[in-house]
This record gives sequence, structure tokens and C-alpha cells, in this order.
Amino acid sequence: MTGLLVIKPGIHATIQDQGRFGYQHLGVTPGGPGDAMSANWANRLLDNLPTCSVLEITAGGTELECQTQTMVAVTGGDLNLTVNGRPQVPWRSFWVKPGDTLKFGYPRYGFRAYLAVQGGFDVPHVLGSCATVTRNALGGLHGDGSRLKPQDFIPCKALKNEGVARQIPELYLPDLDSTLTLDVIPGYQQHDFSSASWQTFWDSEYELSAESDSMGARLNGVALDTPKGNLLSEAVCYGAIQVPGDGQPIILLQQRQTLGGYPKLGSVLPLSGYALAQRPPGSKIRFRPMGLATAQQQMRRYLRFFGL
Amino acid sequence: MITKPLPEFAVAGVDAVLMSFGDQLSSTLPIYLTSLRQVILQELEGIVEEIVPAYTSLLVYYDARVIRLYDLELALEKIAATITWPVELNTNVPVLEVPVCYGGHFGPDLERVAEQSGLNTEEVVQLHQQGNYIVAALGFAPGFAYLSGLNEKLITPRLDTPRKKVVAGSLGIAGAQTAVYPTSGPGGWNIIGRAVMTWFNPKAAEMNAMTPVQVGDRVRFVSVPEADYLALYAAMQGDRS
Repeated sequence: MTGLLVIKPGIHATIQDQGRFGYQHLGVTPGGPGDAMSANWANRLLDNLPTCSVLEITAGGTELECQTQTMVAVTGGDLNLTVNGRPQVPWRSFWVKPGDTLKFGYPRYGFRAYLAVQGGFDVPHVLGSCATVTRNALGGLHGDGSRLKPQDFIPCKALKNEGVARQIPELYLPDLDSTLTLDVIPGYQQHDFSSASWQTFWDSEYELSAESDSMGARLNGVALDTPKGNLLSEAVCYGAIQVPGDGQPIILLQQRQTLGGYPKLGSVLPLSGYALAQRPPGSKIRFRPMGLATAQQQMRRYLRFFGL
Repeated sequence: MITKPLPEFAVAGVDAVLMSFGDQLSSTLPIYLTSLRQVILQELEGIVEEIVPAYTSLLVYYDARVIRLYDLELALEKIAATITWPVELNTNVPVLEVPVCYGGHFGPDLERVAEQSGLNTEEVVQLHQQGNYIVAALGFAPGFAYLSGLNEKLITPRLDTPRKKVVAGSLGIAGAQTAVYPTSGPGGWNIIGRAVMTWFNPKAAEMNAMTPVQVGDRVRFVSVPEADYLALYAAMQGDRS
């Protein structure tokens, strides 16, 4: 069998695909890559179907040994990747041979790198997806939600011939470094928040907390006044901005719980959420409003581009 | 009799709209929402992708490339009008009996619940066991069934500081809700016992068989001594492997 051998899993490396859809009514979270756009680019560089699985490497430290020859693509944050000790520029595809060692260091910019192989990894699907969700014990290499461990072997195809290496033009590369302003579609309990609360929200700078994870990005900053009264739990969508009693917003991400009982201001545009996934804890975050029509237009363009 | 609730719409996100039916809990609303969800999924196939029900609302995920929100809301309203109300409470719904070992090291907060209710722990167990619970919602984690029907005396607020880890099978109370944690994880509910039940089985052939209960089903808890609990638990583990 051909594939990649995990020498060191690093801080947090998992197998992901578009996510698990159609099971949220049973409490199963969709999951999927934090920065779906970079994951899509990795598949795109190899002419893979957008449904192919990729490796998500969070914060670095991952070391892999090739036991196959194939084309791979690496996108997302620059984690100082070396191949056999030689530094590599990210956002491109290249040829690897058996015995090659891929070593991800620690972030130069961004927070998560995506590695795709031609044809995707050959991993089991649970409920229609291989997306790893540790909390739900679903997906991943063994189907049980576990992240990559040393000596894990991730099967993938071997190619006969080297393909054409491709690189994404700099023009298309996302800016993963500067202060991030998230586009917000007001919604849910938007009218229950006072206008002073909204003003604070638009005017303030928040800091991404180290307690953030793939369930939700926790922010620290000026506390918002929250509406009084008890809300019955309701379903939460990707990007929903919930404000618990302490007034510090939490942006719910791909591994969010399916129901939540805190009041919500609305949701961030998914594209903003993907950019947020590339920010390390301590990053500065601001918000600006976006109309539903504009938001839908931007998402339509994105989905069409990647054939989703 | 409760009048038929009319839907109100709120934008949730770029491809999701929240369809709310007020803030009054009732025993029939979850059943109404279940049938409404089924009909929408059938009639708007290709437009609506997923619907997530909660106590009094449906979150409708749609493909914004094929329909405008305004048109979708009209279509949803039309469908809601066709669903019969009042819903007939089916008295033949399945009742799931869940064995529970109450108190001791399995129920560290039983004392707390007893204290705030002014009862002793045995009375709390008695009252909790007598409850005829209805599954009001499924969610939060796979197979997590929110149960309504808790005796008013047992209503206890969440812990001030949530626990970092609540063991799978823990039976908890939060406000007027009671439920069993299907998997281990953080949680702030008052834990009063440990239950034996597989709440989620992703290997089931049919989606409806993945959870032992559906919204609207009934649940009863049956107190068992620790020895029986351990035997049942061992049998459940054996079934899984």
C-alpha cells in the first residue's frame, strides 16, 4: 500500500473534507476544515474534486514520510515547510518520491496549512464524510474522530508520471497577516440588542482568545450589553455570533454545537470565518456590517469558482 | 387550546433562515415541527438542504443560488399552513426505559438538587423517576435528547462554573430540562446519576435508527442499584465491540 507515514503529528493534524451534512438534526456537527478556502485551493491545484480529503495542519510541527510518488499541494498559512530539508514556498503543487520527508515548522504567517495529494486520501467515510470531529468521535483515519498519531499511515495513490507543478499567482493569495475585519450579516436576535450595544460592537477592537477552537472563536474586548430574558435553545448556523452573559462575543465555527441558547447578533460571512481560522490567538479583530444580498453574491462567486 | 402558531422569520446567516413559532413550549409543538420539517424537505427538495429543529423553531438551510429569501419565506409559510393543527398527541408513542443508578459517586449534584428543592435525596430520586418525559429536541451533541416534563420542584439552575469533564452517561438537570450526556465533555448541568443507554449509533443502516428516540417520543427513568448498573454497562460495552 502506498501513502504518507506520520513521523510526528505535530500540534494538531487532522483529516478533513467539506464536512458532514444532513445530520445536524441528530446533534451531529458538520465539521470540516477551518479555512475551507485554502483547503479548496489545495485540491484545485491538483485538479482534484472539491470533495477530496485533505490534511489540516494546525500551528505546525508535523513531519511526514512519503511512501508513494505523487503530486502534492500545500496551501494556507506558511508553516515553514521543508522537503528533505529544503525550504518550500507554499501555495503550489510539487512532485514527491518515496523516502521524501515533509516537515512543517512553526507559522511564519497564518495558522493552518492544508496538504492535498492527487486523488485525495483513501480514508473511511462516516455519515458521508471523513471530516475529523474529535468531540463527536467521528471521522478521520480510523473513523473514530482521533487526530493523527505517530506511525499512522495515510493511504493514497501512486502516480506513474510527474505532473505539471502549478503555483497560485500572488494576486490571488489571501492576506493572512493584517488586522482582520469580519463582515457581519445582522440577524437572529439583532433587534433585542440595544443600539448602544451595536455601536460598541462596530467601534471596538477585539482580541482572539487562546481558548478558541474549531467549535468557536472566543473574543476578548469591550463587553456588550446582552438582552434580558431567557432564550429557548435554537439551531445555530456557521458564523453565528453569540453573546453570553459576560458580553464577550463567540463566533461559532465549523465544529459548533448544533443548538445554542445565547442571544445572537447575526453571523459572519463564511469567507470572513475562513480568514479568521488563519489568525493565531492574540490577533486583533474588528467587525463591519454587510447586507444579505452582497453576502450571497460573494458566496455565490466563491462557490462557483471552486465548483461547489 | 393553544392556537396554531404562525411562523416568524429571521435571517440567521448567508444561507440559513430561522423560522420561529413563538416562545411558548408545548407538548404538541415539537410534533408539529417534526411533520413540518418532513414536508418542507420533500416539497422543497433541491432548494432546502437541511433543517435543524429546536424547541419552537426550525433553522432552514437553503441554496441561495436557486431562490431568494423572500420567495423562500412565502413557500415555507404556505407549507406551514397545510400542516394540521392541533396535532393529535399520539398516545401510542414508544416509551424508552432508561436504567439509571442515582446518587453516590455517579450523582455528585444530587445533594444540591435536594437542597434547593427542600426534599431529601430519596424524594428527589422518586420524583425524577416518576416523570413522564417527552423528547423536546435533539442536539448539542450527537444523540443528546433534551427532555421536557421535569417536576417543577426539581428545577435547578446550572452550576455556576461548568465542569471541564462530565462522563458519558451522566444524567443531569439544568433549569426545567433533564437529559443524559451521550458522550464525555464539558458541561454545567447538575449531575444526579449515571444512565445506561447508547444514544447515538452512526453505524445504523437508517437515519431514524441512529438515535433510540425521536422528537416527540417518551422517556422514563428506572432506578437500578449499582451492581445492576455495572452489569448493564458491561453488556452495553460488549454489544458495541
